[in-house]
Amino acid sequence: MKLIKIMLAASCLWAGTVLADPPKGYPFVNFDAGLKAAKASGKPIFVYFGRYGCAWCDHTNKQTFSDAGLKKLYSDHYALVYVDAESGKRLTLPSGERITEAELGARLQAFATPLFVYMTPQGEKIFQAPGFKTVKDFQDYDRYVRGGHYKQKTLLEFLGEKS
Amino acid sequence: MRAAALLLAVLAWPAHAAWTWDEALTVNSVQGAAIFPHIESANRQGVGVSGDTVGVVWEDNRDGSPQCYLATKPAAAAAFQPEVKLSTGECYEPVVVALDAGRFVAAWEEAGKVHAQVLPGGQRLQLSNTEAAQVTLALRGDALYAAWAEQAGRFRRIVVARLALTGDTLSVTSAQPVEAAMPADEQGWPALAVAGDGSVTVAWEDRRHRHTVPMTSHSRDGKSFAPPARLTDHKSGRVDGLGAGTGAMRPTLTAWGEQGIAAVWLDKRDFLSGYDVFAALDTGTRRFGKNIRVQDNFGDNMAQWHALVVGDASGKLVALWDDARDGTPDVWLSEWAGEAFGDDLAVPAAAGPGWQSDPVATLDAAGALHVVWLDRDEAAGTRIRYARAARK
Repeated sequence: MKLIKIMLAASCLWAGTVLADPPKGYPFVNFDAGLKAAKASGKPIFVYFGRYGCAWCDHTNKQTFSDAGLKKLYSDHYALVYVDAESGKRLTLPSGERITEAELGARLQAFATPLFVYMTPQGEKIFQAPGFKTVKDFQDYDRYVRGGHYKQKTLLEFLGEKS
Repeated sequence: MRAAALLLAVLAWPAHAAWTWDEALTVNSVQGAAIFPHIESANRQGVGVSGDTVGVVWEDNRDGSPQCYLATKPAAAAAFQPEVKLSTGECYEPVVVALDAGRFVAAWEEAGKVHAQVLPGGQRLQLSNTEAAQVTLALRGDALYAAWAEQAGRFRRIVVARLALTGDTLSVTSAQPVEAAMPADEQGWPALAVAGDGSVTVAWEDRRHRHTVPMTSHSRDGKSFAPPARLTDHKSGRVDGLGAGTGAMRPTLTAWGEQGIAAVWLDKRDFLSGYDVFAALDTGTRRFGKNIRVQDNFGDNMAQWHALVVGDASGKLVALWDDARDGTPDVWLSEWAGEAFGDDLAVPAAAGPGWQSDPVATLDAAGALHVVWLDRDEAAGTRIRYARAARK
């Protein structure tokens, strides 16, 4: 019996390690709380649109979000929002419309996870970027967003000038 | 030889007979830039046809909070009658099935519980005693079932109830979870169908495998359910030690033919092109066969959304969804042609410039297809649109 309990506990631990949830140690909150916090603080919003069990989300968490500098950069300067791509939980868009977290994917025409969406503090979308990203990618995106460059040029134009 | 030629002609019938569409109508009488109608529901059951009456249910926030509505129209009428409100508290994800003679059963989530009511004239019945959502219904003959996702400890699980109807009064004959054990992870979005043999099939989203997998079970008596089985035959898992598997969500079911059940869902096994529409058929064995991709190659590299399937006793089977292959979201359908789904066809009034999405549909007793969708316009407000199609 004791052995069964140990095995069950071990399987639970294993299950916990394969989840593709927000990266550990970051202050991610749900969409409504993040929008509220952004309006209050004036910080831009960073939406991590992830999927339960998503391998590329897990990879991004381990390879990129594990970076201590990136963690400080994004935790200090963004309202961090995590959205579950297949969830029926509800959120309220800046327009006042209530939709499910999964429906947000349809509205964004998301085709892959992870999908990273940058928004103004008022919840207006600046741009979205799908798939695995490096620490440098996120540092570039941060300069583009917090530097206000999105008001004058596209992300590609900004990145082209930079290189 | 003549018999073989006749058989081939019958099998090829869907490829030759086109759907002819009536003029599309607007269902909701109140629209505005800050009014947001939704027709999402478990099993996408937003429209029913009872005799010669069409009924459509939805949720919108015109009163300042989400409320559920039903609008009806005689089949031959050129407009829907003003809608009636079904709810008093915050209401979400209503569904409707058709009884006879212009009567319907609607069900919805309100204030954290699920409810059902015969319309017009019936009294509301609270189906769940604990927190519940995502209710759906299925009816065949006098067999009426409801299913919903109900809180059980940390997670929700699927409960199926047999309902009795006496006049306009509903009651719960029996209600039990599909599995007696407490859920190990989240379950939701149930779909139900009653086959010609009276058995009930249920499908739902399930996260016990640490990613979202549509599961299915069936019951001969509506009380005792078979152990759950995967609806998807694509068993994904960890990739190089990462993640848990690809996602698949929002299963829908329909009774099909004399004994069959058909399932359609959104499936991300090709994870670089968004969700695809997949189907599986149970021809009466109470086991689903191999998975079949529904949309044609023109839908490749494109995310499909809001998929559902509708069928009838004659064997007609139609899958619908929306995707933006032509630049903006349009509503598409594909019909089962015997060995595969046929070419994708746009629903004419739900295609072209603008955002047309979120189809719900039903087939009536004469085989006509009734489709309802959202036509989104941020300035003027979203219209709920309806069109009927018949074979010519």
